[in-house]
Amino acid sequence: MKAGERIRVRAAFGLLGAVPAFLAGWLGYLQVAQAGQLEREGRAPLRLVAETADQQAWRTEAVPCPRGTIVDRNGSVLAVDCQTYDVRAVLAVPAREGRSVQSMRAWIGDVATDFARAMVADPDLADRAESFQQHREAFRRLFGDAFRTDDLPADGPVPDGHPRVADVRIAGEIDVLSVVEALREIGARRSSVSMHFLRTFRRVHPDRDATYGLVGHVATDWTVVPGTNERRLATRGVCGLETWAALAPAEPESRPFLKDGRGQPYFVGPLHAQPVANVLHSTIDLELQREAVRQLTTQAEAGAREGSVTVPKWGALVLVEMATGDLLAAASWHRDARHPANAAFTPTQSLYEPGSIVKPLVFAYALEAGRLDWSHEFDCAPGSADYRERIGSLGSRVVRDDHHCSVLTPHGILVNSSNIGASYVGLQLEREQWHDYMQFYGFGAPLGLRLPNESRGGPNAQSFDPSIPLRSFRRNSAISFSFGYEMQVTAMQMARAYLRLFRGAGADLRVCRGLEIGGEWHAAPPAGGPGPKFRPDVVELVREAMVDVVSADPHATGFHMHGRMLKETGIDLHGVVAGKTGTAASRIGIPGRGKVEVRNASFVGVFPAEAPRWLAVCVLQKDDSARFYGGSYAAPPAVRLLLQCENLERRRQRHKEPQHDANGQVRVVQGSPGDSGWGR
Amino acid sequence: MRWMLAGLLFALAVALAIGTVAIRAGNAALRHDVERTYRDIQDRMGELERLGLERAETATPEYLAAAMWAQLRAEQQRRLERLQ
Repeated sequence: MKAGERIRVRAAFGLLGAVPAFLAGWLGYLQVAQAGQLEREGRAPLRLVAETADQQAWRTEAVPCPRGTIVDRNGSVLAVDCQTYDVRAVLAVPAREGRSVQSMRAWIGDVATDFARAMVADPDLADRAESFQQHREAFRRLFGDAFRTDDLPADGPVPDGHPRVADVRIAGEIDVLSVVEALREIGARRSSVSMHFLRTFRRVHPDRDATYGLVGHVATDWTVVPGTNERRLATRGVCGLETWAALAPAEPESRPFLKDGRGQPYFVGPLHAQPVANVLHSTIDLELQREAVRQLTTQAEAGAREGSVTVPKWGALVLVEMATGDLLAAASWHRDARHPANAAFTPTQSLYEPGSIVKPLVFAYALEAGRLDWSHEFDCAPGSADYRERIGSLGSRVVRDDHHCSVLTPHGILVNSSNIGASYVGLQLEREQWHDYMQFYGFGAPLGLRLPNESRGGPNAQSFDPSIPLRSFRRNSAISFSFGYEMQVTAMQMARAYLRLFRGAGADLRVCRGLEIGGEWHAAPPAGGPGPKFRPDVVELVREAMVDVVSADPHATGFHMHGRMLKETGIDLHGVVAGKTGTAASRIGIPGRGKVEVRNASFVGVFPAEAPRWLAVCVLQKDDSARFYGGSYAAPPAVRLLLQCENLERRRQRHKEPQHDANGQVRVVQGSPGDSGWGR
Repeated sequence: MRWMLAGLLFALAVALAIGTVAIRAGNAALRHDVERTYRDIQDRMGELERLGLERAETATPEYLAAAMWAQLRAEQQRRLERLQ
């Protein structure tokens, strides 16, 4: 090698060697001379550590957590959040297409066509061609507004400063895989379109028509995050079980990812923790709930289509498991509701005067209090010596029966539903005992189910006013209370009252069996607590009378229903279903109509009659003068529902279908939405 | 010889640098694939939820009864047409 060549080679290698020396020097300057951070104007110094370098490219996406799932007592889903996407796109007009107005318009039209084609990629879509046209027009308008195409001249170059980039919301609640893939494909194919898929949720209520009032529904509104001025969309329960705080979604989870030089994301890791929705295990039995809704609707609308029968104003049907107080079904029906979501949930919100349905409750209380001799015979004929002595002596109050009754024992009074006989019994109780009666059965007390907007009802405000003379109380309130007047209840309160008749004052209704929070099971405590109970012989005597109410005895108030069910199903209900009918006429105020005469038909039934396991209460209210009795109108749906309980239980045992175990925990039906994977 | 070694070392350094960049690029490409797969799985989980609900809706007694009646009516119509 010549000397000149050697010099050139040395110089070249020397320059190459200077590169690492420069880098090493620069590194030393940054890490040592700059003391590990870079000063930045208007911002905090940038720390020169490895994480800082990573963070230059790292991003995080917030993944919202779903609202809690509601399941029935056998694990069937009643409400669940389903994952959907809110899709946005950043559209940047390519340089070539952005040169002239014509090419820009053509490009916008092409992109609109692409998006419209993606939106109709659902293979199950029925009217694809029409839907495609609608979507294309909508996207053309949307993109036209975003790029202000109306401001563009008809021809020529695109004016300087005219927007060439637009961020538009393509669609919300996208959950069909083929549509998602088609939209993603647009982003992959067109470098000028950058797609963003934001995870959101859609609340789904399977069997919606059967669960409007009880499960409830949700609304999504803008809310301010507490402690900040940040506003964000939040979904909250509006009514029913959906209002429970346990269903509120947890804080969003975050997932890191990296962005490459083209802004494309790539994988760093999965979510720190997969969002797990809480699960509320309700006491509802979905199949019985469906049956309750069907029975109530059928009865309420029976004959109305032919115009021969007037429909009631509202109806309620409640089914309870007696051993636990679990609410199995609660159906609500309205004549004037425009939409079920706007209607009151009648089992807890609609008050009515119960009428004769309370007589077994009164008799059990009087018997327990030692104020009633079950073998005593009362002359229930109007104008009889008993009547004159017990009722006539109080003043001008007149008590009538629907049919003539003569000498009856308490058993007979209940079977015949004699108001005069019930008044004799009610007049045996002191004012304090009537007050205790209301408390024992929970009339006027909240149900404690945490269902919003519950009506409390109870006795009239002045009934227990100490300033009212005792004689006046006996003449008015005591007699009225005896056959269910001067007080208002809801169907659910009446169910609780009968539950207490059989199980004592500590018994309460329950609507939640337990919660799964973060996958961990928390069983709900048994409803109610300790409290006084009636003696077994008291309950037995009243139950026997209720058994005879549903019999072929023509004086029994359940006679018509007994005959009807015998004809319809071939079942002799005597000794199978025990119950009590009630019919009451009241005057209530209705907005826009003033005081209106209404009639309440109600029925409470327990089944099996010998050892009751299920309890049903049905109430229907009419606001006209049509003939309308508890025995013939309210009893059939309640009895059919009670019979269905046993049919369903037999079927489930025969087919070994999943049912709840002793502690109330069930697995969410496998593979179903909301499946938490518990127990696998 | 010294220059030969220096040249080889330099070539090695360049090869290492290129190799490192290639591995990192391959790594990034794989991460892109993983990201796509991850999103595909997420999309399919949503689809599974949706289909599960749809199937559950079509398995209610009311729906099945309606479907059976529709099938029976169609069968009745078919037989009537065959008779005529």
